[in-house]
Amino acid sequence: MNISSTDLGLAARVQNLTKTYGRGESAVHALDDVSVGIRRGQFTAIMGPSGSGKSTLMHIMAGLDAATSGHVWIGDTDITGLSDLELTILRRRRVGFVFQAFNLVPTLDALANIMLPFDLDGRRPTALEKARIDALIETLGLTSRLGHRPHELSGGQQQRVAIARALATAPDLVFADEPTGNLDSRSGREVLGLLAAASRDHGQSIAMVTHDPIAASHADRVVFLGDGRVVADKPRQSAEEISAYMLASELGAATGVDAAVAS
Amino acid sequence: MSSTVAAPAGVERMPRPAASAPLAWLRERGMGASILVAAISSAFGAVLLSATGYIAALLRADPFLGDSEMLAFVLSILTALLVGVAVYVAAIVTANTFSTVVAGRTRRIALLRLIGASARSQREEVARQGLVVGVIGAAIGLVVGTAASAAGVALAGALLQLEGVEYGVVQGVLLIPAVIVALTTWAAAWVGSRRVLTVTPLQALGGSVEASHDALAGRAGRNAGAIALFLAGGALLAAGILLGLVTPLGVVVAFVGGILSFTGLAVGATLVMPPVLRLVGRLFGRSATARLAAENALRYPERSSRMAIGVVIGVTLVTMFAVALETVKAVIAASSGGEIEPEFASTIDTFSAIMMGLVGVSAVIAAVGLVNLLTIGVVQRRRELGLLRSLGVSTGQVRVMVLLEAAHITIAAVVTGLVLGTAYGWAGAQSLLGSAAMPPAWQSPTFVAPALPWIPLAIIVVATAVLTLVATVIPTRLATRVAPVEALAE
Repeated sequence: MNISSTDLGLAARVQNLTKTYGRGESAVHALDDVSVGIRRGQFTAIMGPSGSGKSTLMHIMAGLDAATSGHVWIGDTDITGLSDLELTILRRRRVGFVFQAFNLVPTLDALANIMLPFDLDGRRPTALEKARIDALIETLGLTSRLGHRPHELSGGQQQRVAIARALATAPDLVFADEPTGNLDSRSGREVLGLLAAASRDHGQSIAMVTHDPIAASHADRVVFLGDGRVVADKPRQSAEEISAYMLASELGAATGVDAAVAS
Repeated sequence: MSSTVAAPAGVERMPRPAASAPLAWLRERGMGASILVAAISSAFGAVLLSATGYIAALLRADPFLGDSEMLAFVLSILTALLVGVAVYVAAIVTANTFSTVVAGRTRRIALLRLIGASARSQREEVARQGLVVGVIGAAIGLVVGTAASAAGVALAGALLQLEGVEYGVVQGVLLIPAVIVALTTWAAAWVGSRRVLTVTPLQALGGSVEASHDALAGRAGRNAGAIALFLAGGALLAAGILLGLVTPLGVVVAFVGGILSFTGLAVGATLVMPPVLRLVGRLFGRSATARLAAENALRYPERSSRMAIGVVIGVTLVTMFAVALETVKAVIAASSGGEIEPEFASTIDTFSAIMMGLVGVSAVIAAVGLVNLLTIGVVQRRRELGLLRSLGVSTGQVRVMVLLEAAHITIAAVVTGLVLGTAYGWAGAQSLLGSAAMPPAWQSPTFVAPALPWIPLAIIVVATAVLTLVATVIPTRLATRVAPVEALAE
């Protein structure tokens, strides 16, 4: 059965993914036979408590870390066997990143940070890309900040520059790792709104790792991880519903009741 | 006020590391290089002192060269100058290393400040580490230098078949350079630790973005002094050259001018080097890697300038001797109205080679500093490198970036050094011999253009290119090993 990600409407997927740290008695299974897909054009939140494996899943899915076993596709490319150079170029051209902190190269100004993926490829943006980038800068309210270096920008502004950079190449998939973790609640809401808009208005596929129910409530879909497995996969949820589910599964885990029943 | 409360002694001291590993900080990056730098200068001092002592002993033993006092005196002055230059370069390198190490320790110092350590005690701790590093390096250098001298003396005695020359290598005088090196290392660490005072306890808490450029404010007075020194020195150099057309004493004026102008340059390094670095940066084009490297080379202008000035000193001195002696030949040829004797020319070439080798030691010390600072720079940039890797910078591009960063500094330094060395060397020869008249033509005064000895200059350029490549081996290895995941960690 050779069904491609495209046939399934997925921007990325993993199959039977396992990641084990250490060996023997002390082995830790960060991911335990995980299979999940990120739907194209959707804003997906990956949730779970610390140690649930959500960050490991993102790292492997984005080609930043290697799996112990299993397969990973970005678009229709099986990235499992790619060399370091191939993975690097794949990240440069087809993946965007927004991290929690330290997103920007401190020696480059905002514009140079946004253009970095093109500069690394040794090419100038096409007219189409240029128009998109200009529109992005406009929407993100960065027009007057382009000549500033990261340390001259507020946390929210830095995160918006990072979003502009991540969206500039219109990648197959944007990974956001706790993008609001370092921001005040107003800047956080702004950033989440921008990500949701990119997905809604431009069909950008986004996968966001977070442990914040409010952040996850902006997503079209919420995937819950626990102990290295996918424990639930739900359509858009309110922050209250997400909190209630997480609380129930925490309590469930504590009392031995199956968490899934509680939902 | 705490003294009135009769606080127990040592309350203001920084908390001591665990007694089990009191010298664990010695393994920190940068300390090994500082020990090496101190060892090289101390060993160099020991070897030079032994060599001059031995030569003096040879002269005393020679029945035909009765009056050797003058030569011995000149030799010891030369030794003092050569060792002085080496120690000076070593001090610059060490001060730079320590200020870089302190920059890397900011988080930890801030934490200790938060808990209650005073800034002063923190700084004293760094200076104390400088003293320990200096003593260790000086001791190693003393032992190695003495052993090398003993071997050299034995070898010379065997080769020259000398009899009646008794020279004991182990002498108290060898302690002098060692002690000076230990003390200057201590002082250099103190100077380099100034930044400790600017660390605030708040820096222990978060702060994810680092300021990308050091502020260079509040040094206007220092810069003005540097410019004044440089201009005054330049004027004296010119005066020395003019005076040299009349009397050989012109060289004394030119010498003072040289020292003043060069001191001005060393003090005002942060004024001179950044524009040169920026100019070199233009050579590398506008690709992403070239731009990142250019920005990195100017990220800490003070650090880069001092890193470059060490190499500048070395290159300037080597070039100066090469150009000076080549110009001496040209002046003599002009004055005598023809060719100079081949024997005389070869004597000058030999002397030139020896002097170039001796001042080359300073260049080696500067090179150690360069390697060291590039390495620490990479270590302190791990997260940034991780970020770049995750955004799609390949290991090849990382390699090019580190190489270009080193090349920035070495090219800027070598160009500056070649220009300065040519100017100084020419001024020295011209001011000394401009008035001399030589047979058979007895032309005087003579005024010649700087004579450039192409082979030594080519060697300098090639050596710098090799240095650039060698200097990047370790940093490149460290930089390409950074996994992209590191940008996301923490």
